[in-house]
Amino acid sequence: MPRDAERVAWIALASVSGIGEETFALLLAAFGDASNTFRATLDGRLDEWMADRRRVDGRPPFPARTLAALREAAHDPADRMAGIEALGLWSFTPLDSGYPARLRDLPAPPAVIHGLGDPVALSRPRAVGVVGTRRPTPAGRLLAARVAGRLVECRATVVSGLAVGIDGAAHAATIEHGGTTVGVIGAGHCRPGPRAHDRLRAEVIRSGGAVISEHHPQTKASKGTYPRRNRIIAALSDAIVVVEAPRKSGALTTAKHALELGRPVFVAPGRVGDWSTEGSLSLLRETPVRPFVGLDELTEDLGYFSSLPAATINKPGDGIADRKPALALLGPSERAVAERICVGPAGLDLLVAQTGLPPGVVSGAITLLLMRGWVQAHGPAFVAAGPLAAR
Amino acid sequence: MLATLVTAVINGLRGELVRVEIDVAPGLPVCHIVGLPDTALSEARERVRGAIRNSGFEYPMSRITVNLAPADRRKRGAAYDLAIAVGILVASGQIRRGGNGWALLGELSLSGTAEPITGVLPMAATLVRQGYRRVIVPAANEAEAKLVHDIEAIGVEGLDDAARLIAGPRGRRAALASRRTAVELSGPRPESRRTIKPSASFATSIEPVDLADIRGQQHARWALEIALAGGHNLLLVGPPGAGKTLLARAIPGLLPPLNDEEALEVTVIESVAGLLRDGGLRRARPFRAPHHTSSYAALVGGGPHLIPGEATLAHHGVLFLDELAEFDRPALDALRQPIEEGVLTIARATGRVRYPARFQLVAAMNPCRCGYHHDPDRKCRCPTGDPERYVRRVSGPLLDRIDMQIEMARVPPADLLGSGRPEDSASVARRIMAARDRALRRNGGRPNAHLAGSAVQSAASLTGTGKELIREMAADRHLTARSVHRLLRVARTVADLAGRADVADEDVLAAGVLREPGGVMDDRLAA
Repeated sequence: MPRDAERVAWIALASVSGIGEETFALLLAAFGDASNTFRATLDGRLDEWMADRRRVDGRPPFPARTLAALREAAHDPADRMAGIEALGLWSFTPLDSGYPARLRDLPAPPAVIHGLGDPVALSRPRAVGVVGTRRPTPAGRLLAARVAGRLVECRATVVSGLAVGIDGAAHAATIEHGGTTVGVIGAGHCRPGPRAHDRLRAEVIRSGGAVISEHHPQTKASKGTYPRRNRIIAALSDAIVVVEAPRKSGALTTAKHALELGRPVFVAPGRVGDWSTEGSLSLLRETPVRPFVGLDELTEDLGYFSSLPAATINKPGDGIADRKPALALLGPSERAVAERICVGPAGLDLLVAQTGLPPGVVSGAITLLLMRGWVQAHGPAFVAAGPLAAR
Repeated sequence: MLATLVTAVINGLRGELVRVEIDVAPGLPVCHIVGLPDTALSEARERVRGAIRNSGFEYPMSRITVNLAPADRRKRGAAYDLAIAVGILVASGQIRRGGNGWALLGELSLSGTAEPITGVLPMAATLVRQGYRRVIVPAANEAEAKLVHDIEAIGVEGLDDAARLIAGPRGRRAALASRRTAVELSGPRPESRRTIKPSASFATSIEPVDLADIRGQQHARWALEIALAGGHNLLLVGPPGAGKTLLARAIPGLLPPLNDEEALEVTVIESVAGLLRDGGLRRARPFRAPHHTSSYAALVGGGPHLIPGEATLAHHGVLFLDELAEFDRPALDALRQPIEEGVLTIARATGRVRYPARFQLVAAMNPCRCGYHHDPDRKCRCPTGDPERYVRRVSGPLLDRIDMQIEMARVPPADLLGSGRPEDSASVARRIMAARDRALRRNGGRPNAHLAGSAVQSAASLTGTGKELIREMAADRHLTARSVHRLLRVARTVADLAGRADVADEDVLAAGVLREPGGVMDDRLAA
């Protein structure tokens, strides 16, 4: 059997909907290779094997739906491969040398990955996953962006899941800072995640990153696909940063996969009692993750110093003190408003109450700060940005 | 014998003249009403018979034909009762026609008492235009009819009073001593039903609130002041309990009174809708707060009988739509025409009418179904993507016509218990009134919200840096021409409130935040 034909069969088999890496491994164990599996599907040996398995296990190894899909694929594996290539996707199997080495750390690496963009982005030396909830607080979103910005400075690739929320903030900030980012989607390339991120996905690719999926392009997202892609995020990263995770957040499974792979996990702690970081706190309590207490500490823990200028490394912590020079450029009312925003996100009403300025003046100050890019709006709240944001 | 009388009908908000011709001829005793009557009108024959008999007259045992002209127009309601009854009395020779030129409006009960009807004001106005100088109306409608100049309106208690007026002092033939005793037997006559009309009170039954009783929400109070001073449409977005509805309930206490012309228009509308309780001229600016389950017809008007909707009832006042996203979408979109043009055109099989509807829209909504999207302390329970979908239920074109959108956060409990009394409605209302007057004088009678195109720019008369600021903002936020005008209009009002002749830079900046660039409503634009 020529190696190329086997590769085509492999990709075709792995792309059959319903065949994950476990079923794939089973079939490979039973029939030797992918091409032979297809032949077995057509000549009846598969049916015999299925019957055997059913006798032994009490149930078939995979449902009838999968069997039907498998039969369909068996008729013309090359056709299926061509269909995938026609979409402009590249594919890697563990047979290929281009298969990202980090994925081989997984006990059962995905049998195939399809991707768009630059495949080299998957194998760069520094890669860190930044993950968190789909429903972040303004502070969480900002933190994700800052982590991503710092990682870019360290020349690390930022890996995440292209979901809305923390994932999106991390990807977007990476691109904004001119870095490379990899998005792992939990569905096929023809039906990728949230429509709101269509533009972001295109940006990820345009900026030299990659979007990958282990599923056949037509696979729809379902209950299981998102947690499964989290293991790929964990495997593709040297370390994982959990920015904000409420109870039951998908980021928790990413963290657990990373721990199983022996990758370090950094979790940003939250205030006790905040719903938005309940999951993060339980990770800190129940698993050997490390607390993420500051960007400098994070880069230090990751061992990424070298590319940072000394001045940045030696910067003191997150106090308002560092932002003094920027504040001095503002008029008195803008300064009062900006100082309050540096303490934490605040809505207009809170700003009026806490600065004691009339609503009209506060509104004017906010407009000016927004125009200068020193403040960003997140829903009803405003957060520090630009020179006002702590590094 | 033939009798001809004049009465009127309401079409849209205008009265139309109707001639009532009654022929009493020998033949089998029947009564026919012709001229496209509806059910209530067809039943007039029973009411009229009862009223005539119980007023001490005799119901003629002859063939009675009632014709309502013009014959091609559909007629409805019970407002013709009085004219028909008097016509029968004249045609059967029981009263001699005294003074001519009386028009009659009114419904009759079986006891012969005249019941109040709706739309007396516009009907009386039409009668004057058509040259009639005297009108008989039910006593409860007398004050309303007297709002019309050049017409002598006389209120009557019942059919007998009306007959006496028509016949003149000497024209009365039958002995009327025995006005039926049924009334006395059943105790004192119940008060006119006008005083207990539930429909009148429900929509407006919102308990007014004084701003002094609303704590926190400094920003929203400020925005409300601007909106009311400039007539800008306002959208309040915030979680449950943020005080959106409470703030809206303070609106009636902040609105300046209607001027004479507006008062007359509003009174006509309320007359037709049956909302005039005391019959006097309505001076308070309308504040309508229909529930979000209101039907299309209830909101924009129409229905089989073409009645004015809430949008029209809010003419010259405020239409408050609480839970904006829960309203029927077609109904909301139908509000676009009145927001833009100030009128509603409704075409039905029964006719085509134009209702005035120049209202100021104040709307409130939650940022998502559960209400806690963006709330820092409580988790939003909506599925991913749902908040965006929820917000999208309000169509873009409608949002585009709302000058100001503000977000409200929940008030921290500590603020609720804080000491010190917030500013009360009376002093805020004074500022609003002053700013409004200033704007009306400058704009030739139009509030700032209705300025368009070049009028906005000349009204704003920006300084050099102000123009620069606007240009920068427009580039920054990708503003359309429409949004720039919106910004200028609001800035103009901010300056009016501050008593400035020209719009200063700080006014432009302050206005810049009144449609928050990162607000919930703009999430749809965010990637």
